Amino acid sequence: MNLLAVEMKNVNVYIGNRHILKDVTLKIPSNTVFVIMGPSGSGKTTLLRVINRLIDLIEDARVEGYVKVLGFDIMKSDPYELRKYIGMVFQIPNPFPHLTIYENIAIAAKINGVAKDKKELDNIVRWALEKAMLWDEVRNRLHDYPHQLSGGQRQRLCLARALAMKPKLLLLDEPTANIDPVNARKLEEAIVSLKDEVTVIMVTHSPYQAARVADYVAVLYDGKVVEQGPAQQLFLRPSTEITQKLLRGEM
Amino acid sequence: MYNWRKLIDKLFTYMVIAVSIVAISPVIHLIITVLLNGTMVIVKTGINFFISLPPTPFSKDFGGIAPAIVGSLLMTFISLPITIVLGLFAAILTTEFPKNTISIVIDTIAKSLASIPTIAVSMIVYTIIVVPMRSFSALAGSIALTIVSLPYAYTYFSTTLRSVPFIYREAAFSIAMSRWSTVLKILIPVVRRGIVTAILMTLVRILGETAALLFTAGRFRNGVTISPLAPADAIPLLIFDFVLSPYEIWRQVAWGASALLLLSYMVIFFTVKFLVKEVKL
Ligand SMILES: Nc1ncnc2c1ncn2[C@@H]1O[C@H](COP(=O)(O)OP(=O)(O)OP(=O)(O)O)[C@@H](O)[C@H]1O
Ligand SMILES: [Mg+2]
Repeated sequence: MNLLAVEMKNVNVYIGNRHILKDVTLKIPSNTVFVIMGPSGSGKTTLLRVINRLIDLIEDARVEGYVKVLGFDIMKSDPYELRKYIGMVFQIPNPFPHLTIYENIAIAAKINGVAKDKKELDNIVRWALEKAMLWDEVRNRLHDYPHQLSGGQRQRLCLARALAMKPKLLLLDEPTANIDPVNARKLEEAIVSLKDEVTVIMVTHSPYQAARVADYVAVLYDGKVVEQGPAQQLFLRPSTEITQKLLRGEM
Repeated sequence: MYNWRKLIDKLFTYMVIAVSIVAISPVIHLIITVLLNGTMVIVKTGINFFISLPPTPFSKDFGGIAPAIVGSLLMTFISLPITIVLGLFAAILTTEFPKNTISIVIDTIAKSLASIPTIAVSMIVYTIIVVPMRSFSALAGSIALTIVSLPYAYTYFSTTLRSVPFIYREAAFSIAMSRWSTVLKILIPVVRRGIVTAILMTLVRILGETAALLFTAGRFRNGVTISPLAPADAIPLLIFDFVLSPYEIWRQVAWGASALLLLSYMVIFFTVKFLVKEVKL
């Protein structure tokens, strides 16, 4: 495996004529939890969308610069192939509303040919739900629909769906935003325990959460990376005022 | 203070209800009149209404509208699947690739097609199909119906597809689904009720269209045929002709035919709406 899961050099993103990401240069080591922090509107979600090229879905978006993800030069490779290795959990929970809990996870496993038969599929669904800390709550209602779940359960369902792809890279956009502190803690543990198999890139607004899970942190402000480095160092000796404010919860 | 607000609230509620009743009362009146007059004719005639030929102007009993029923079914059977397939396909193309030249061309054609009067479509099909084939035919009628209903089907389908929230499209792409499986396995199923409604609206459009058939189908009502190449009748054509006729008995039959059309709409709508459940988001 490469030492870097993601490498960005001078990445600029424009949507229409707005400059959204400005000269972003990032190095994300494999098998770590890499946390992205920054105030609302600073470009965190956009940064994640560049990595799995969901940015392509935005009509008038333009990406410039060099981005290497899991060894792919993503501008030159097939986005559908690239996405097979990348799972994503979105800021707003978006399980497929017409599919059951079971089917929501199975569809992700099937597309990537992870499961060979029904039994294997059942196992993956269960494994993904366990990892996402949802199994105990839904084990007897796998054929219910997402609208019957709570907001936090839906978000964990989305995490399970992403995990079912057995990704190498996991993009988490505020995965605990709708979850109570107890479940959030459990989820954090799950995320940390995934590190052997996956690289996790996670957006969070909570400095405490960042402190608990992060190996590395990058701080984004107005589309620019103002600071990045090992979590310890960044938390103990933040070198910019923006980071200090962010850590104090003043931003 | 509190009572004052309550009063205003009540006042507005009643006003809205009153205005709604005024607005829909002509429609209700129409429906009731058609059903009352029409079902009476159908009930009096019984099964003959469906299997007999129309009466002669001075006949004693009503006879039936078998040629019109068979003709309408035949032309719908030819036209509806083509319209739906083409309309849905075009809608998918233009919603998925809005910037593509083909999409822009399709969209422009659809918009201009919708603005051609249906009677003109009838004349065009007359010139390019009926004249060379030297005969009115169900086929010519079906072609005219397809041209007339296609822009509507396209519009219904694209509106429906565009209504799928962006977050589901993102979710599908994030698990590496291709564009086509996203459309077929996610977008369409999520709005399946809207899609079914669009199909029904198209069906209604086809079943009720009159002008497009004037110079194409041939209004043949002296017998029943299911050959697409032979002249055919259609229920709205028969209604159109019989209502304008000076004979009381034909006008009675026209009531019956109208009621039949209306009843079939209702039956189709309610069964399908009942069978296809809405996806809860
Ligand atoms: N589809 C879009 N079209 C136009 N502008 C967009 C689009 N998506 C994002 N932007 C703009 O890009 C900037 C960054 O947005 P982004 O969603 O990346 O912020 P964020 O850091 O994730 O914020 P939050 O913490 O609120 O989620 C914002 O100014 C936003 O208005
Ligand atoms: Mg965001």
